[in-house]
Amino acid sequence: TGVVPFVALLLLQRRPVAGRALLVSGSGCPGHGLCRSNVQEQTRRQVAVLNATAQELFSLYLKCQGEPFSSESDKLCNPAGIFFPAFRVNRTSERKEVMVAMYKLFAFLNASLGNITRDQEELNPMAKELLERLHNTTKTTRGLISNLTCLLCKNYNIFQVDVRYGDSSKGKSAFKKKQQGCQVLRKYVQVIGQAARVLLPHLSPS
Amino acid sequence: MFSRWNWVACGFYLVLSICSPDASSGFVQSCGHIIPESPVLALGSNFTALCILNESCLDFGNIYASQIIWKIKNRLVPKEQYREINRTVSSVTFNDTSSLATPLTCNILADGQIEQNIYGITVTVGLAPEKPKNLSCIVHQKSKFTYSMTCTWYPGRHTFLDTQFRLRYRWPEQIFPDCIPKDVNNSCTIDDSQFFVNTEIWVEATNALGKAVSDPLVVDPIDIVKPLPPQNISITSGLLPTVLQLVWENWISDAVMTLKFNIRYRIAGDTNWMEVPPEDTASPRTSFSIQGLRPYTEYVFSIRCMKEDGVGYWSDWSEEKTGITIEDQPSKGPPIWRIIDTSQSPACWTVHLMWKALKPYEANGVILQYELTVRDKSSLSSPVKKYNVTSTNHTLQLREGTYEVTLMARNSVGPSPPSVLLIPASNSKAPVKNLRTLPKHDKLWVGWTAPNNYVLKYVIEWCLMSSSSDCIIEWQIVLGDVQGIDLKGIKPFKCYLITVYPLYADGQGSGQSVKAYLKQDRPSKGPTVQTKKVGKAEAVLTWNHLTVEEQNGFIRNYTILYKTIDGNETVVTVDPSKTEYTLSSLTSDTLYTVRMMASTDNGSRTGPDFTFTTQKFGKGEIEAIVVPVCLAFLLIVLLGVLFCFNKRDLIKKHIWPIVPDPSKSNIAQWSPQVPAKHNISSKDQMYPEGSFTDVSVVEIEADDKKSFSEQDLKPFDLLKKEKSTSEGHSSGIGGSSCMSSPRQSVSDSDEGETTQNTSSTVQYSTVVLNGYRDQTPVQVFSRSESTQPLLDSEERSEDHAGGADSTPQRQQYFRQNGGQDETSTDRPCFERTKQITHANEGDLVGFVQLQISGQSSQPLGLGMEKNIEEAAVSNVLQTCTEGQTVRPETVEENPLSVDEMPKSYLPQTVRQGGYMPQ
Repeated sequence: TGVVPFVALLLLQRRPVAGRALLVSGSGCPGHGLCRSNVQEQTRRQVAVLNATAQELFSLYLKCQGEPFSSESDKLCNPAGIFFPAFRVNRTSERKEVMVAMYKLFAFLNASLGNITRDQEELNPMAKELLERLHNTTKTTRGLISNLTCLLCKNYNIFQVDVRYGDSSKGKSAFKKKQQGCQVLRKYVQVIGQAARVLLPHLSPS
Repeated sequence: MFSRWNWVACGFYLVLSICSPDASSGFVQSCGHIIPESPVLALGSNFTALCILNESCLDFGNIYASQIIWKIKNRLVPKEQYREINRTVSSVTFNDTSSLATPLTCNILADGQIEQNIYGITVTVGLAPEKPKNLSCIVHQKSKFTYSMTCTWYPGRHTFLDTQFRLRYRWPEQIFPDCIPKDVNNSCTIDDSQFFVNTEIWVEATNALGKAVSDPLVVDPIDIVKPLPPQNISITSGLLPTVLQLVWENWISDAVMTLKFNIRYRIAGDTNWMEVPPEDTASPRTSFSIQGLRPYTEYVFSIRCMKEDGVGYWSDWSEEKTGITIEDQPSKGPPIWRIIDTSQSPACWTVHLMWKALKPYEANGVILQYELTVRDKSSLSSPVKKYNVTSTNHTLQLREGTYEVTLMARNSVGPSPPSVLLIPASNSKAPVKNLRTLPKHDKLWVGWTAPNNYVLKYVIEWCLMSSSSDCIIEWQIVLGDVQGIDLKGIKPFKCYLITVYPLYADGQGSGQSVKAYLKQDRPSKGPTVQTKKVGKAEAVLTWNHLTVEEQNGFIRNYTILYKTIDGNETVVTVDPSKTEYTLSSLTSDTLYTVRMMASTDNGSRTGPDFTFTTQKFGKGEIEAIVVPVCLAFLLIVLLGVLFCFNKRDLIKKHIWPIVPDPSKSNIAQWSPQVPAKHNISSKDQMYPEGSFTDVSVVEIEADDKKSFSEQDLKPFDLLKKEKSTSEGHSSGIGGSSCMSSPRQSVSDSDEGETTQNTSSTVQYSTVVLNGYRDQTPVQVFSRSESTQPLLDSEERSEDHAGGADSTPQRQQYFRQNGGQDETSTDRPCFERTKQITHANEGDLVGFVQLQISGQSSQPLGLGMEKNIEEAAVSNVLQTCTEGQTVRPETVEENPLSVDEMPKSYLPQTVRQGGYMPQ
C-alpha cells in the first residue's frame, strides 16, 4: 500500500534513471476517452491542492517525528544532500516543457511520498492525521500524474517521459528514514509552490 | 427354464455393473452417462440431452438404447421427444426449457419391466443478466481527507441464476480493483476516491448465461461530492438586539473545493424555519451575521454547504445551535380589559382589570412589572392613582363614573408604550351588527359588521358555557379595522358564548352575544319525559331541557314518539323552547309508551321510555255519576229514615207488641168524683160506626181549657209528679200530638185486626189539663188499656150528640191500619201548631179528653191516617218540636165556650193523675 506505481516508470525506480518520452498519436493515448477538456483545470486544481497542503504536511511530519526534527529541522531536513528533480521552468517556458518537468517532479514525489508513507506507517503508526495527509497527498500526485500523462499524450503525443527517482529508504535506520522523508518534504514544499506559480498561467482556463 | 435363469443373471449383472467399484476410477461404474453434464440453460430455449450406454452393458446385460426412457423429476418424458441415434445413444429434446425440471434422468426398462436408473443430471434454467441501468454515484465525505464513492444502479430482471455484479472504475491509464457489492446487487461503495481526475465507472453483471455491462459513467468525483456539513458552529449576540453572528468551520479546504452555504433559523419552540437568502451565502465563508431578529428571542440555527458552483450535493444540515438576542424595550403595551361587578351597589363598582402578558416578541425581554394608572375623568380634581403590579390583573373599587386606565409593561431596558382603556359610565354607544360565527377546521371564526361610527378596537369575549360552573371569560382585543377573528383553543361539541364590544374613542358600545359550536354532535342523552297530567283522551307531558353539556349542539327540536302497545308510533315535533306538551286524541284507559328525542344538526338521541295509562273517565264524568247517585242514595236513606220514623210505633209494635193486662185495668177505679169535663165530640157523628177498625181519637176543644178551673186540674198533679215525663214526654199518648197521638193509640191495638177484635181492646186515653185539687193543673195524659167494654154508652151518645154541631170543625187525629187515599189535612195541622202556641201563651187551663171509639171512627180514620203521615213527613221537625201540641185550630174554629162545650164522660177514674203509661 501507499505506493501505486505508475508502472511504466516506477519499474525504473531502483536506480536514478532517466525516462524516455515517447511520441504517440492522440488516438493511441491510454484512456483517451477520459482525456477531456477539463483535465487541464483538474491539473491546476491538483497542483493548487498540493501547494495548499504541503506546508501543513511538512509541519505535521516534523511534529510527528519528535526531536531532534522538531527543533533542528533546518539542519536535519536540509535537502541539499538528496536527489530532487530539477524544476527549471518558469512562466515563460513552453507549456510542453513545463508539462514534462511537472511530470518528472510528480513522478518523483509520488514515489517518494509512497516511501515516506510506508516508513511512517512503520515508525508512527498512531499518527493518523499524518498518515491520512500522506495518503491524500500521494493520491493527489497519482491523479496529477494521470492527468499529466493525458495532457502530454493528448496535446504533445508524449506517452513516455524519462523519470529519475530517489534513493530507496528501505533498509535504512529509522532516523535515516525520518530524515530522508523530512528532506524530501521540505524540498517538496519549496518546489510545489514554484510549480503552482509556473503552472498557473499555463493551465488557467482560456 | 433357461429364459428365466437368463433374466435373473442379466439383472444380477446389471446391479453388479452399476454398483461394483471400478478398478480404474475408484467410483461406481454406471452403464452410461448423459451429456451435457449439469447444463445451465436459458429460459425458453430448446435443449437436447444424450444418454450414452457403455459397451460393457450391451455385452452382458442386453441393454440397448431402444430401452432407454427419460424422466424429469420422476415424470416420464413423452417418447415423442426421444430419438434413438444408435444402439447405445438415445437423445431427448425439449423445445422449451421452461418445462424442464431437475433431475433429468436416463433410465432403462429391462425385461420384466424392471426400471433401472442409468444416469441423472441437474438442469439449471435461468436468464442471462440484463444490462445494468441508471448508474449514479455520490461521493460522501467521511472525514477531512477521506471520501467514499457509492454507486447505485438498477440490476435488471431476476435471472434465477447466481449473478455477480462488479463496479469497475479507471483512470485514463489505470484500472482499479473492482468493487464487489456485499449482500446487495445494486450498489457498491469505493472507499478511496480521488478528486480532479476523470474517472470512468461502469457495472458488469455476469452469470452462467452471459455478461452485461452498463453504460460507463465518466465523472470527476469532485463534482459528485456530498460534503460534511459545517462543524463547530458558535453563535454570538452583537450590540444590536436584532443581530446574531454565526461562526463555523468547514471540513473541506478551499484548495480542494470552495463552498456555498444555506443558513436556516427558527425561533426556539417554533417549527417553521426561516432561511437566509441563498445569494447572501453563495460564497465561501466561515461566518455570517443574521439581522432582523427579534430582541430577547432564542433562535435555533443550522447550516449546510455544497460545492460553490452548485455541482454536487448539498450536505446534510448541521447540528442545530441556539443563540439568544439581547433585550429591547417592549414593543407595545399589554392588551387590557375589565369586568365591572355592580352586584353590591350600582353606584359602587368592583372593577376587575385584567391584561394579557405580552408575547415574547412583544415583551422583548423579561417584564419586571406593570405600571397601572387610573384617572377619574368625571372628576378632574381627583388625583391620578398609580399602581405597580407584577401580576396580570388588578381589582379596584370605584364609584360609578368614567375612568381612563393606562397600563405599561417594563423590562430591564425600559417601559412599553401605554395601553389605554376607557371605562365609561355606561355602554351607550352603538353595538356591532350581524354578529356571526363559522367553524373553520379547528378554529371558530367570529365575524361582525362594524357600526357606522369609527371604532378604535373590538373586544371579543368568549367563554365555555357550563351548567355546573361559572363561565370563565377569555377575551381578545383586535384593531378597529378588523371585522373577524379566529378563536383558537375552541373545543368541539362545547357551547361557547361569544360577545363583541366595540371600543370608541369616547366610549364603549354595548356587547352583542352569540352562541356557537365549533363542531356539533348529537346529544349525549335524550330528554326524560314524564306525565304531568293524564286525562281520558289527553296527557300533558313535561320534560327538562338537556344541560348544555349534554346538548353537544343546538337543539333544533324535540320529537315526541308515543304509541300504544300494539299501535303505530306517532311522532310529534316540538319546539325546543318548550318543556311541556299535551298529547290529545288519546284512547281512554289505554297504556301508552312515550319517549322523547332531542335533535341537533348532527343527530338525535332518544331518552328513556315512559309509560302511562289514560283514564277511563273524563274530567267530571265521575262526579256526574257519583253525585247524583249519592244524592239519590241519601234521599232514599232519608226517606227510609223518615218512613221508619213515622212508622216507628208500628215497627215497635212488631218488635215489642204490647199485650194489655186485664188485671191491671183501672176501670173499676175510675172516680166518679172527678168531674168529667170532657169535651168529646160525638164520634158517632163524625165517624160512622164501623168505619174504624182501630182508632184512637183525640178530641180537643181549645175552649175547653177555659172550662177547667185550677181546682179541677189539681188531681192531676200527682200524676205529674209521679211521671217524670213532662209535656214533651207525653207524646206517648195518642192525643198529645198531631203526629204521635194517633200512632200511640194505634200501638195499643194490633194492626190488621178486625173491627171486632178492636172493640174488645178499646183503649182509652185521657188528657187532664186541670189541676188536681189545689195543685197547679198540668197536662196529664191518662190512658187506659182495658179490654172491657165501655160502661156508659149513653153518656157517650150524649157526648156525641152534644158535639154534633161542632164535629165538622174539629180536628181529629187518629191512626188506623190500612190505607185509604184522602185529601190531606196536614196544613190545618200546621196551622194548629201556631194556634196552640197562642193558646199556650194565653192560659192552657183545662184538659182535653181523648175518647176513642173504635168502631165508629174506623172508616174515616183510614183517610186521616194518611193525612197525618204526609204531614209528618213534611213537617217532621216542626211537628216534633211542638211535641204535645193539640189542635190549636180548634181555638179558632170552635169558638164555643167551656160551658157550651159538650161534656165528655170520663170512663175511668185516675188515681191522682189517672193513667200511667206503660
